[in-house]
Amino acid sequence: MAVSTLPVAPATPADPGPADRRGRGGPRRRENVAGYVFLSPWLLGLLGITAIPMLLSLYLSFTNYDALTSLSEVEWVGFANYERMFTEDPSYWHAVRVTLTFALVAVPLKLAAALGVALLLNRAFRGVGLFRGLFYLPSLLGGSVALAIVWVNMFNRDGAFNSFLALFGVEGAPWVNDPQWALETLMALAIWQFGAPMVIFLAGLKQIPTELYEAASVDGAGVWRQFRNVTLPMLSPVIFFNLVLETINGFQGFTAAFVLSNGTGGPVDSTLMYTLNLYIKGFTELQMGYASALAWVFLVAIAVITVVLFSTGRFWVHYADGEQR
Amino acid sequence: MHPAPSPSAVERTTRDHRTASFSRRRLLAALAAVPLALTPVACGDGDDAGGSDPNKPIELSIFWWGAEGRAKLTEDALALYTKKHPNVTFKKTWQANQGYFDKLATLTAGGDAPDIFQIDDNYLTEYASRNVTLDLTSYKDSGKLDLSKFPESLWQYGVVDGKLAGVAFGENTQGLVYNKSLLAKHNLPEPTTGMSWEEFIAWAENVSKTTKVPGTQDPSADYKALWVWLRQQGKDLYKDKALGFTEQDITAWFELWKGARDRGATPTPDVIHEGNVTDISKQLVVTGKAGTSWVWVNQMPELKKNTKDELGVIAYPGDPSAQWARASMYFSVFRGSEHKDVAVDVINFLANDPEAGKILGTDRGLPSNLDIRKAVSETVTDPNMKLSIQVETELGSTFGPSPQVPLKGHSKVRSELVKAAEEVQYGRQTPAQAAAAYLAACKAAIGQV
Repeated sequence: MAVSTLPVAPATPADPGPADRRGRGGPRRRENVAGYVFLSPWLLGLLGITAIPMLLSLYLSFTNYDALTSLSEVEWVGFANYERMFTEDPSYWHAVRVTLTFALVAVPLKLAAALGVALLLNRAFRGVGLFRGLFYLPSLLGGSVALAIVWVNMFNRDGAFNSFLALFGVEGAPWVNDPQWALETLMALAIWQFGAPMVIFLAGLKQIPTELYEAASVDGAGVWRQFRNVTLPMLSPVIFFNLVLETINGFQGFTAAFVLSNGTGGPVDSTLMYTLNLYIKGFTELQMGYASALAWVFLVAIAVITVVLFSTGRFWVHYADGEQR
Repeated sequence: MHPAPSPSAVERTTRDHRTASFSRRRLLAALAAVPLALTPVACGDGDDAGGSDPNKPIELSIFWWGAEGRAKLTEDALALYTKKHPNVTFKKTWQANQGYFDKLATLTAGGDAPDIFQIDDNYLTEYASRNVTLDLTSYKDSGKLDLSKFPESLWQYGVVDGKLAGVAFGENTQGLVYNKSLLAKHNLPEPTTGMSWEEFIAWAENVSKTTKVPGTQDPSADYKALWVWLRQQGKDLYKDKALGFTEQDITAWFELWKGARDRGATPTPDVIHEGNVTDISKQLVVTGKAGTSWVWVNQMPELKKNTKDELGVIAYPGDPSAQWARASMYFSVFRGSEHKDVAVDVINFLANDPEAGKILGTDRGLPSNLDIRKAVSETVTDPNMKLSIQVETELGSTFGPSPQVPLKGHSKVRSELVKAAEEVQYGRQTPAQAAAAYLAACKAAIGQV
C-alpha cells in the first residue's frame, strides 16, 4: 500500500521545522494523507452508510417516493409530507403521545433502578462481582428479539407472571394483549435492562473520594445526608450523561414494540412508538417519502430535547474541578 | 448444503480480487455512483440469458413466504429444474408471511428485488401499478409461458391494468377450519356448509358451554370473512375505484360479532387479538384456544402440522356461492431481473411440469393447470391435502364470479379493519363509532373522495 512507501515521519512533530510549512508534499502534508488513509474505513462507512443515505432521505422527505417506483420518477411535493404529519394524520400525534409517555415514565425509573442497585453493589461483600454480573446480564441481551419474545410469553394471559400472581390469589390482566397494559409491559422490559447505566453509575461512585464521606460523617451527617449532599452532587456529571443517553434511547425504542405487536403497534395502537409508526408508514404502507419526513422531524425533536437537557445541566451538574460549564 | 464450486463462484472470486485494486479515482467514482445504485429497476432491460450461450451458469434468486413444509416442497421442485438445466441454480429465501412484504419492499427499494417472487392479491396491484413486475403478456402469447391449461378466470386474476403481472399459482377459497377431535370428544355435531351466520354463532356458543373451549375465533377483524359476508348481501369490498360497502354494513358486521362475544361464542378480546395474525402456527384452532379458525382451504395441511387434533374444513357460514375461486398467490418476475427469460421458464416449469406439480401438491392451493390438478388429486396421499381438494372441488360448483383484484391501498384497508374491530372487541368503541372511523380510514387509503 501507499503508506509503506512514505518516508519516516519527523521525530518531533510537535516542533515542526520551517521545512514543514513550505506547502505541498511536505512530510506534514503526507502525514495527513496517511491519517486519512487510516481513517478511510470509518470515513467510507460514515459517507456510505450514514451521510449519503441521510441526505437522500432529506431529499425524499420532500417527495412522494413509495419505495417501489424508481428514484428518478419521484415527484417533488414540497412541504406536503410535513403538513400532513401535523394536520391530517391522527396516527402521528398518537405515536408522539405513546412515545412521550414511554420515555417520561421508563427513563426516570430505569435510572432510579440503576442508581439504586449501583449503590447496593458499591460495597465490599463476598460475591459482589457475581451480583454485578447478574444485574448486568439483562442488558447484554439488549434490544434483542429473543428477549421480546420471552416477554410476550411471560406476560400474556397464561404467562409465567400471571401464574406467579395466582399464587397470591390475584388474577392478572392479559398484559401484552391488553391495550391498557401493553405499553406498561414494554416499559417494564426497558426498566429491567438497567445494567448499562448501572455499570456507569458504579464507575462514577468509585470515583468519589472516601475522604468526603469521612469528613461528612465526622460532621455528623447520616446516610441520607451523605447521599444528598455528597453522593448526588459528586455523581451529577454521570447522572447527566446517563440521562442524556437513556432519553435518546428511550425515544428510539423499537425492537420490543415491533416484536410484541407483530409489527402493527397493537393492540389497537397502544404500543405505536414513533419509530414503529415510521417503519409502518415506510415499509408496510410504502409511503417512504412521508416516512423520511417523519424521521427528520424525529431527528430535530431529539436534538432539541438534548439541547434542553444540556441547558438545564448548568443548574444541577457539578464538575469536580469546580468549573461551571 | 453447499454446492460444488461452480464456474460462477470462480468468476465471483476473480471479480473480488479486481475490486482490491481500486484506485482513489475509481473509489470516488464508485462513491458517486452509490445513489445511482440505489435506484431500483436500473435499466436492466437487456437479457443476457436468452441468446448467446445457453450453458452459461445462472443463479436466480427466488423469494417466497410460507412454513417449513412449503420450503421443502419448493426446494425439491427447484432441484428438479436444476437437474434438467444444470446451468441454472437458485438462491432461495423464504420466511413467514408476517413481515414478508416489508422485506420485499426493502429489497425492491434497494434495486435488489429477487428475480422471482411470490406475491398475493393484497399487494399485486401495488407492485404492478409501479412497474416492479415484468409484464408477462408477450411470454404468454409466444407460448413460452403456457397458460392454456389454466381456467380463464384464474390467470386473468393476474392481470392489472391490462398487463399480466403474475402467474396465478394455485386456486383456493375461504375455509372455516374446525377441531374435529374436540367435537367428537364431547359428542357435539360438526358445523356444516350452508349454516346461516346466526346458526353458526349458536353452534359456537353451544361448543363453548359444553367444552369450555371458546367455540369460534371472532372473525370481525378478518377482511376475508367480512368480504364473504358482504357478498352474501349483494355488496362487495370494492366497486370500481371505490368501496363496495357502507358504514351501516360495517356497523351491522361489528354488531353481529359483539352479540356473539356477549353470548360467549368467542374467546376474550386478548385471545382474539392473538389469533388476529396471519401466522398459521398462531391460529387459535391449532393453539387450542378456539374451536374454529377462519383461513384459506389450502392452509389445512399446514395447520394440521401444528396440532395433534383432527381438523375439518367447510365453507364460511351463509350462502357458499358468495365465495369464489381466488388465486391463492402468484409468482412474478422482477422487471429489473437480468435473467428474465430463464425466470419465466422456471415459473412455467413449476406451473406446468407434471413432475414438479406432483412435488408441489396442493400446498399453494389447487394447481392452476387443470391437467396437473387432476393428476394431483388422483395421486395425493396426505389426508389433509385430500380433504382440502375435496372441499374446494365441492364448493367449486357453486362459486360465484370473482370480485375485482383489490385496489391499491388494500393492505391498509385490511390493517385498519383489525384496528377498528379490536376497538370494538376491547369495548373502547361502539360498533357505530368504529365503523365510522373505519370508513374514513379506508377512503383515505384508497384515495376515494
